Amino acid sequence: MTVLLRVSRAIDGLNRVIGLVVMYSVFVLMGILLWSSISKTFFLPVLWTLETAQFAMVAYFMLGGPYALLSGGHVRMDLFYGEWSLRRKATVDVITVLFLIFYICVLLYGALGSTAYSLGYWGKAPLEFFTGLITGTEQIGRLERSSSAWRPYLWPIKSIMIAGLFLMLLQALSELIKDIARASGRSIPEVNT
Amino acid sequence: MSQEHIALFMFGSMMLMLFTGQRVFGAIGAIAAIAALALYGTGGQDIPFSAAMKLMKWYPLLTLPMFIFMGYVLSESKLADDLYRMFHVWFGNVNGGLAMGTIGLMVLISAMNGLSVAGMAIGATIALPELLRRGYDKQMVTGVIQAGSSLGILVPPSVVLVLYAMIARQPVGQLWLAGIIPGLMMAAMFIVYIWIRCRMNPTLGPVADDLDEVTPAEKRKLLWAGALPLIIFAAMMVPFVNGWTSLVESSAIGALAALSASILKRRMSWAVFHTCTKQTLVISCMFMWIILAALGFGAVFDGLGAVKAIDTLFTEQLGLSPWVILILMQLSFILMGTFLDDTAMLVIVAPLYVPLVGSLGFDLIWYGVLYTITTQIAYMTPPFGYNLFLMRAMAPPEISLRDIYRSIIPFVGVMVMALAIIMTFPEIALWLPGYVYGN
Repeated sequence: MTVLLRVSRAIDGLNRVIGLVVMYSVFVLMGILLWSSISKTFFLPVLWTLETAQFAMVAYFMLGGPYALLSGGHVRMDLFYGEWSLRRKATVDVITVLFLIFYICVLLYGALGSTAYSLGYWGKAPLEFFTGLITGTEQIGRLERSSSAWRPYLWPIKSIMIAGLFLMLLQALSELIKDIARASGRSIPEVNT
Repeated sequence: MSQEHIALFMFGSMMLMLFTGQRVFGAIGAIAAIAALALYGTGGQDIPFSAAMKLMKWYPLLTLPMFIFMGYVLSESKLADDLYRMFHVWFGNVNGGLAMGTIGLMVLISAMNGLSVAGMAIGATIALPELLRRGYDKQMVTGVIQAGSSLGILVPPSVVLVLYAMIARQPVGQLWLAGIIPGLMMAAMFIVYIWIRCRMNPTLGPVADDLDEVTPAEKRKLLWAGALPLIIFAAMMVPFVNGWTSLVESSAIGALAALSASILKRRMSWAVFHTCTKQTLVISCMFMWIILAALGFGAVFDGLGAVKAIDTLFTEQLGLSPWVILILMQLSFILMGTFLDDTAMLVIVAPLYVPLVGSLGFDLIWYGVLYTITTQIAYMTPPFGYNLFLMRAMAPPEISLRDIYRSIIPFVGVMVMALAIIMTFPEIALWLPGYVYGN
């Protein structure tokens, strides 16, 4: 348990740092939209701003999601939950957080499949494709592009989404570890975010 | 198991998961993922993630972090204090005056954004702490903010009416004009309700007791303080109304204007800046992940034909009068809106309903207004409503979800009344567009 808690602390630390960096990308988003308004008003409208802003937003909430999980920002329906003792909350969470972990795993698997597609793999086994890329038995094929006038490649944003979902999975596991510890009667302080 | 049973089972297990107190996005998402795998097998595993791509392409969502940031800047830097001081001094000598002022503020806010969520973000960050600090009843406060924020999608610019316009093939300009008078009427009804409640029970909205020392000159000066947010609104609205910028771009201008104003008034410090940025991340993420999960849930749920079943129910009972069908439709909207995501409702349900409304001989501009108010009621209706959850996330810990549930009941009543009035007198919605466009 002590080892697991150390792992949990490491994950918390990692996601805390990532969150504190990623939170500033809201200004990247703002900058892109402002440049879009300026160029539209005074010069010629540019093609890339809307999609770049969308990519920035997806990166923002995918990479920031773990931080929100860490800081307890994800809202719960506390009709009953709010009145339970800390230990009881943790005990119930140990079971229900497994559902959350399952959901994130399905999202992550979907993201891997979608990214493999964006790299030109049209088969049904994305995991084999990625291992194949490393061992050299698979090759990057026709790269997927967005169906807009600007036509950006989609693999960079999808890779960021994989990274975000992976961090989310780590954070959910960290929450599970902390819940198990709390349910067994240890006192685990809330992480200072 | 028939499809209806599966739909019921999905809905039931989602409710059960929500009641365990697990994070809302996890509860909804997990049920969606399990159902997708169980129902569709191979290929089903892609449904939850494809919701993320759908979410990315829904461009009005870009305004969300901007408006949340703007709301935090206005409240954390205490810029909003001046505005509240104005309402306090000018309305404070009436019981509940500040709550009525909040409705007024919400009308102003809704005139500069198109999503009720953004109005809620601003309302919850500016108005909520102020009202609580001044001793207002907490249920009154959360009710006022949620009701006020529902004006956001009725008063132009309205994102929901833009989407409706696409589906119903009606001009956006006419729909926006049609929303103005019903929006103002609803605001007036909220104010009357607050006035009556506070007259009956003055402890709900205490009269300000520090107004005697305010001189008339100071009162006039405070009006200037109140002008600052109006300047911010103008910086955002003028380019938008003139068509120089899009809604999304205007929201970024608004965020920049709020930030600049707080720096110019020397109210911005690094600590405040840090808090605003951090809170924006947490609240935006909370919201986006719920939408992500709800879109996934909606995709599986709609795939079951749950919506189609409702449609056949209507068409097979066409013996009913058009009005009964219309009222049944509104009721089913409220029912579905308690658990379906708004885009899912708009994109999947509205295309089934809108042609039916047209063929029954009703005006589609008028129906757009009815539709908008109905969806707003749906989002405020327990157990599942975005507004409820967002309110919970933004409210201080002493306000429980139960308080929030209880607080919206009377305001939903007022909204249903407004809906009935507009149904009975379509001119309320149709007069202004008719007048402007010469009809």
